[in-house]
Amino acid sequence: MSISKHGAQHKQAFDEPLWWGLFSAGGVCFAVLLPAVILFIAVLLPLGLLPAEALSYERASALLFSVPGFLFIGAVVCLPLFHAAHRLRHGLFDISVGNDATNKKLMYGGAALLSLLALGLVLAGMLG
Amino acid sequence: MDKSSSQRLPPLKRNWWLKHRFFKLYMLREATVLPLVFFTLCLLAGMVALLQGAESWQGWVAFMGSPIVLLLNLVALAASLFHAATFFVLFPRVMPLRIAGHSLPDQVIVAGQWAGVVAVALLFFWLLGRV
Repeated sequence: MSISKHGAQHKQAFDEPLWWGLFSAGGVCFAVLLPAVILFIAVLLPLGLLPAEALSYERASALLFSVPGFLFIGAVVCLPLFHAAHRLRHGLFDISVGNDATNKKLMYGGAALLSLLALGLVLAGMLG
Repeated sequence: MDKSSSQRLPPLKRNWWLKHRFFKLYMLREATVLPLVFFTLCLLAGMVALLQGAESWQGWVAFMGSPIVLLLNLVALAASLFHAATFFVLFPRVMPLRIAGHSLPDQVIVAGQWAGVVAVALLFFWLLGRV
């Protein structure tokens, strides 16, 4: 297994600041926003502890399919996905799974695809 | 593969991080993104359900209430708080803040970030919690 992540020629990694920036921004969102988001949407809502109309179909649609909803998804889905991709890539390297060049493409590519899907869903809801 | 560096250093075994508490905590922090990804995929499914209509949305809420999904999302909640605890202490080290010539104590910067978490929760309560 290789120790270096940057290939035999020691190519300059011009893209790393971008991934690092997305990782940091996603880390802030994961830390500051996600506890409340998970608590309200994934715990209190399914347990029936929110008022009945709080996230009814009509209210949830109105909240999500809007400009604030688009920004919300950017901060709660897209940036944390890039944070997760970065940690998964380095975690796989740490336990010597796969090849870093491939993992990098898979992880960041996956985060980008899911991000586009999420933002596309909001746009589809706004237009539809 | 970089052969020159692997000649200098012996390759690490896969379980190297199990040998010290510090590295175990490091790997636990790396692993906080696994339940996060699960929650994110749930959220994406919810967005699709919301696009499909009222019946799908109700189905998604019921799915979120199934015991395994709820349990995994509780793990995601705990993971987000653990990640926050490890992330907030980095801020004063990466970017020490100085106000009027005095450097802000680390604890103040960390407390400020936790105040941010509470503020977001209060915003959600204002938006969704009132009867």
